[in-house]
Amino acid sequence: MSTNGEVKFLTHEVGSLAKPAWLVKTSAGKPLEESDIEHAREWGEKVGVEDYEQLIELLRQEERDPDEVARWASRYCMRLQESAGVDWIWDGEQQRSEMYAWAIAHSNGFEPRGTVRSFDNKYYSKSAAVGPVSLREPYHNDEFSFLESAAKHDLKIPITGAYTLAVWSYDEHHLPRSGRLGSGLSRKNEVEARRELTLDIARNIIRPNLEALIGLGATWIQIDEPGASTEEDELDVFVESFNVSVEGLEGCTFSTHLCFSDYNLFFPAIEGMSGCRQYCVGFANYDSRELGTSSADRPGYEVISKWRDLPYEPILGLGVNDIHTDFVEPPELVRDRILYAVDVFGDPARIHVCPDCGLRTRSWDVAFEKLRNMVEGTRLAEESLNRAHAGATK
Amino acid sequence: MQAFVPGLYARSEALVQATRDLDRGRTTEEAVDEQVERDLAELVSVQQAAGLDLLADGMLRWQDVFRPFVEAADGLETGALTRFLDTNTFFRAPSGTTTTPTLSQTLNGRYFASLPAPRLITVPSPFALAQGTDIEPSVLAEGVLKPQLDVVDAELVVLEEPFLARADSIDLDGFAGALEKLAGGPKLALWVTFGDAQPLFEQGLADLPVDVIGVDFYATKVGAIPEGFDKVLLAGVLDARSSVPEDPSEIAAFVPQLHERGVKEVALVPNGDLQYVSEPVARDKVERLGKAKEAAA
Repeated sequence: MSTNGEVKFLTHEVGSLAKPAWLVKTSAGKPLEESDIEHAREWGEKVGVEDYEQLIELLRQEERDPDEVARWASRYCMRLQESAGVDWIWDGEQQRSEMYAWAIAHSNGFEPRGTVRSFDNKYYSKSAAVGPVSLREPYHNDEFSFLESAAKHDLKIPITGAYTLAVWSYDEHHLPRSGRLGSGLSRKNEVEARRELTLDIARNIIRPNLEALIGLGATWIQIDEPGASTEEDELDVFVESFNVSVEGLEGCTFSTHLCFSDYNLFFPAIEGMSGCRQYCVGFANYDSRELGTSSADRPGYEVISKWRDLPYEPILGLGVNDIHTDFVEPPELVRDRILYAVDVFGDPARIHVCPDCGLRTRSWDVAFEKLRNMVEGTRLAEESLNRAHAGATK
Repeated sequence: MQAFVPGLYARSEALVQATRDLDRGRTTEEAVDEQVERDLAELVSVQQAAGLDLLADGMLRWQDVFRPFVEAADGLETGALTRFLDTNTFFRAPSGTTTTPTLSQTLNGRYFASLPAPRLITVPSPFALAQGTDIEPSVLAEGVLKPQLDVVDAELVVLEEPFLARADSIDLDGFAGALEKLAGGPKLALWVTFGDAQPLFEQGLADLPVDVIGVDFYATKVGAIPEGFDKVLLAGVLDARSSVPEDPSEIAAFVPQLHERGVKEVALVPNGDLQYVSEPVARDKVERLGKAKEAAA
């Protein structure tokens, strides 16, 4: 809501963007092709990256510092989002290996166990907890300091949450290594093992990171928990780990990101997560592409009333772009999704607008178009609401 | 005593990279095909070295256990990306566009690779394929699965069933009717993966019209096997969701407990698809499965 009483929605991204070939190849020590350099030139011009010619020069060199190239990729991704008109941004996680691998690589007590499929031709590296876990060093500080110096818009820092790190890992430390066969290890024992690992991660890895970032001036930290609903009977563990991570930390807004789940499972468990001031949630993946603002038109958003009814009244970051398809949602579809949500909530101040999830599986072209339409659709929704408000007060 | 590895097997790091590159336009389909063939040759070699009895092709091209059938059927389409049980792996949930889908074209060698020895194949169970589609399992069994089973050359067809053990309510009689539609060809195994089969046994799982029943013994107590069980038992003794290597001697010591329950014929298998561990871990598990079989013999 703006200061003059007009409806104004905050827009934000969720986390990741695709890494450009010139970064991927540099990191892998591979030579670049002319088309890679042309990509850097084209996008440098398109989204207004200052001094991008320096990157072009750098990319023409045989020896390139991957960290320096990654910082350029960060600048590009921030300008991409700023050009699209997104209010709160991040750098598409260009300097991180991946949301799970980055955290694990900077922590003690884990060992790699190879690559596992996420879906189709998407994969993730998976590690095992093999001993007590702890933080080797705060692993977002350098990234945040750099981005803060280069961003033109406000920064929201995504950090992978404790439960997701735990549930995406094998646990060779807390679970028994033998004696399980044919005994039907009780679910109670499994849940207790997960709880121990998750809370160790929350206390010893996540919280020290949050403290360090707040010390550097972070004002909004999004704790990413895409794995939160993996185990229906462990939602209390997820909630407890969020609370342990943030409790008593001041001067910063904490939110969480949930995606690709049966969201009904989160209720009533998250009634106990009052330290979470915003839930950024993917819905477009489940929704129709037809226009309309009735509940029948918006099947993917049926569940949002449950967030409305949470006693501590968090904001809902409304996912309006399906990140698993190149279909670019028209602004009118974005508008209708927002208008439906406002109708359900009855309070536009409790709605933010965002994609379903990070856009790293889309090309920059598609991601840019999706974000631009997201912002345009947001403006259409604002106009519609402000027009209706003006009409009602005449 | 037999042993084998049905289901989706883990892709090697090389195949992971090739398929990633394909998605990003950095390689060709031909290059991916060549890597699939290398992965397949390695998988066959690992199974043979382990002394497994029926070879499996690891379903290396399958994006999930439903996809090839959904894409080849009139009246089915891929739906929302959906979490597979309690894993961090997702699948496109089948969705129905008619009430009577049919297989428009049987799946070819891309999905059922030719193998050098007696083999098994894995397909979704009709109950699993029907999940969320509002289509009766028997309709999918008859219209989509049966035409495929009529043309496959395999000693055993494993019907992968990840949802039955977690279903809120089960019409086992209706499911039996669906399984009957698949009869008349190779032997049928119903592989109940990743879940406690005890409630299903209590409702008559052992009486379903299949030759073989598979049980996850990391979730199911051995005492759940009913007295007088007269089918072949696929004993899920490798934990496909754990990176911990199984001890072959522990597995071998477990087998007599099954015989004590009256089970006459046992085949050692994983408790689900080995794609939930990485290829090196999966390979190690298969090798251990072979050692367990040897030790239990």
